[in-house]
Order: sequence, then structure tokens, then C-alpha cells
Amino acid sequence: MAEARPARIWVMRAAFIGIALLVMFYRLLPLDMMPPRFAGPDVLVALCFAWALRRPDYVPALSIAGVMLLADILFQRPPGLWAALMLLAVEFLKSRDRRDRETTFLMEWLRVAIVLLAITIAYRLVLALLIVPTGTAFLTLMRYATTIAAYPLVVILSQGLLGVRRMAPGDFDHAGRSL
Amino acid sequence: MAKHGTNSEDYAGPLKRLLLAVLLLCLIGLFIFWRIDSPRAERFRAQIVDTVMPGFDWAMAPVTGAVRILRDFQSYQRIYDQNQELRRELRRMTAWKEAALQLEQENARLRDLNNVRLDPRLTYITGVVLADSGSPFRQSVLINVGSRDGIVDGWATMDGIGLVGRISGVGANTSRVILLTDATSRIPAIIQPSGQRALITGDNSAAPPIDFLEDPDQVRPGDRIVTSGDGEVFPPGLLIGQVAEDPGGRLRVRLAADYERLEFLRVLRDHGARRVGSPSALILPATPPAIEMPPAPVPGDG
Repeated sequence: MAEARPARIWVMRAAFIGIALLVMFYRLLPLDMMPPRFAGPDVLVALCFAWALRRPDYVPALSIAGVMLLADILFQRPPGLWAALMLLAVEFLKSRDRRDRETTFLMEWLRVAIVLLAITIAYRLVLALLIVPTGTAFLTLMRYATTIAAYPLVVILSQGLLGVRRMAPGDFDHAGRSL
Repeated sequence: MAKHGTNSEDYAGPLKRLLLAVLLLCLIGLFIFWRIDSPRAERFRAQIVDTVMPGFDWAMAPVTGAVRILRDFQSYQRIYDQNQELRRELRRMTAWKEAALQLEQENARLRDLNNVRLDPRLTYITGVVLADSGSPFRQSVLINVGSRDGIVDGWATMDGIGLVGRISGVGANTSRVILLTDATSRIPAIIQPSGQRALITGDNSAAPPIDFLEDPDQVRPGDRIVTSGDGEVFPPGLLIGQVAEDPGGRLRVRLAADYERLEFLRVLRDHGARRVGSPSALILPATPPAIEMPPAPVPGDG
């Protein structure tokens, strides 16, 4: 019951934004200016999915949209498109997750992989249709694969360190509604 | 209890959906706006970066410094080999230094004879690298000088030795340098002894390929590549690098600038540079040169 106090929810919402800013900060560090041979995982994406599937109330649509838009702007991506796709994906996962709760982690991982693949393809398709130059397909594939591979790690870290874990079916929020 | 729960669900559901729809519309609208009026959207982006980055800067500098020290520490393991190599290099360099001094004196004498004046427009502003692009798909860095210091879009940026990139996106305190390795970078160049013109097209690799070469047979690996000044993009004669051949037989540039360690960058003031104000200004000339040209035989050919 202590988990569900409103103060806790707001603290965790702020924590999500703080962690996202930290991840962006790390990626902007001017450590290596050589073009990379391979693309690392997009931790921000994994973080959004992991939190949205565990505690949807910690990551409202507004904070997902804000964080991803800021990432778009800072990382020189076309502003708005990836943010919109991420928002769609996260909300889709949230609604699906509310419907069938009894899932194993493997199923969740698979679902995240499929959704991420779908929005990655949609992203590249839209950019190709509008003749915006995108990176090589190899790098995109690499980034997709590493993000999926890093997903369990992000889940473990957010469960272990920050206590973002699924609500049990009997839990209620502060107003007494079942989640 | 259950009834109360369903009621609030009914109440909150459409509201959430409405918020979601509005957010999506805003984001997609922003994207479409960016696609239609890119310069204005990019200016907006530069302003946001300009407000966000100085907030990161105080933390970024020490973290970057600490990581660099750690990396340097790792290199102590190979210190003996490095020392030997440095000694060998130093011996070679002393010979070169002697030659360079003699050449410099000779050059100065000849300049004096010719009464040469160096181009007074080519002065520079030095900036420190604040951040990189943060994405494996874009190669750019952010430097800590901006429109406050008189930086203008399109100016050339060098490190001590070679060309690094081109200013694209200026905020009040920061500006972005698109590196030569970025996939959108196209620099007209001349390959030195043969005078061949070519285009250095970035492709997200460490050594950008040389495109649109007139006659590849006249070019040898090791030739110097300098900017040509075509299209008023850059002042002519800035060193880009050397020609190298990759295993596939394609000619590439080995960049002269040290991309492993970009720390201080020089932005060359270039008052002759063409400014880009509207989306098509880079492609279309300001006044169509149709009057001097001979009339085309068929106007709508192709």
C-alpha cells in the first residue's frame, strides 16, 4: 500500500525524466568523434518500454512525448516523428498489457521486439517517402538488435535499483481503484 | 467500490485518449513543419539546443575530462613501445624541421620579393567542443561560440591542421559543426599535384570517399586534397587530407584533422561566404543568369 501513495507516483515520474536526461547527457559527451563501426543500444527507448509495461502511471503520455521530443531535437533527428511513433508504441503496449496481465517475461520481450521493429520500419518508411536522408540500414538494424538485447538489463536495473515492478493483481492505487 | 472504479475509468479514458491524440497531432505537425520549412525549424532547434546545452555544460566538462584521463591511464600500459616510437619519430621530425625552417626562410624571402599580402579576411575564432551529436547516424559537434561571437552559417571549421567541417545551425552561445564524415556533407575539392576536381562526400565512415573525379588515373594515393572554393562554399586552399585507396579500390580521403581528439576548433571568418536564407537558396542562384547564356534549342528538353 505504501507503494501507491500519490507522492511516490510523482517522485517516480520525476525520476523517469531525470534518468532520461542522464542518458541523453551521457550520449552527448564529446568522447568519440570517429564515426562508429556499430550502433549501441538506444537505452531511452528500452527505458520507456520497460517502465510503461511495469508501471504505466509512472510514465504518462506527456512525459514520454516530452522526453522523446527533446531527444529528437538534441540528437539531430527529424523533430517529432520518432517521438510520435514512440508515443503510439508505448500507448499500444500499455493498453495491451492492461488486457492480458498473465504474461511471462519472454512474452513481454517478444512483444517489445515486435513493436519496436514495427515503429523502426515505419520511421524509415516515412523518412524514405519524404526523401529525408537516413543512416545506413545496417546501423539501424544494429541499433535495433542491441536495444532488444539490452532490454532485459534495463528491466533488471529499473526493478532492482528503482523498484519499478509490476503491480500484483490485488494491488490498489491511492484512490482504491484496481490497477 | 467496483462501480466507482468503472465510473472513473469511463471518465478518464476519453480524456486520456484526447490528450494522446492532441500530443500525436502536435508531434506529427512539428515533423511536417520541419519537412516544409526546414531552415526555420532548424533555427528553432538551434535555439533549444542553445538553452539546454549550457545547463549540461558545467557537468559535461568534468565528466569528459575524467573519462579522458582514464583512457590516457590505460595507455600507460603501452608506454615503453610508445616511447620508442616517439623517439624514432622525433629523429625523423628533426630532419623535417630543418627542411621546413629552410623552406620558411625561402618562402618569406620570395614573398618579400613579390610583395605578397596574405588574405586579411581569413581570421578565425576558436571554440571548444561542448558535445557530439549523440547519435550514430549523424556526425556533428557542438561548439561554444555562436551568433554572439559573430558566427554565421556556412563558415569553415578547422582544427590546427585540417578542415573539420562546416557550421550549420547557430544559436546565441553555441553552434553546430557538421563534420566531413557526416552523410550530408559535400565539399568541393582539388587534388593537388594533378589539379583534379572532385567532391568529398561524407558517408558516415572514418574516411569519406572521393566522388565525381574527372580522371581517377591521374590521382595517386598520398596526393594532397584541398578545398577548391567552388560554389563559394569554402575559401580555397584549406587542407582536407590525403588520398588513400581502400581494399575495394575506391579512393577515399585520409582526413588531416585529428578526429579522434577534437577539442578546440577554429572557425574561419569568411565574409565572402554565401548565406542560405530560404530552402532553395543553395540550389538556385539569386539572379538567373539567363541573359548572358545562348538560347537553348528546346526549352523543355527532358
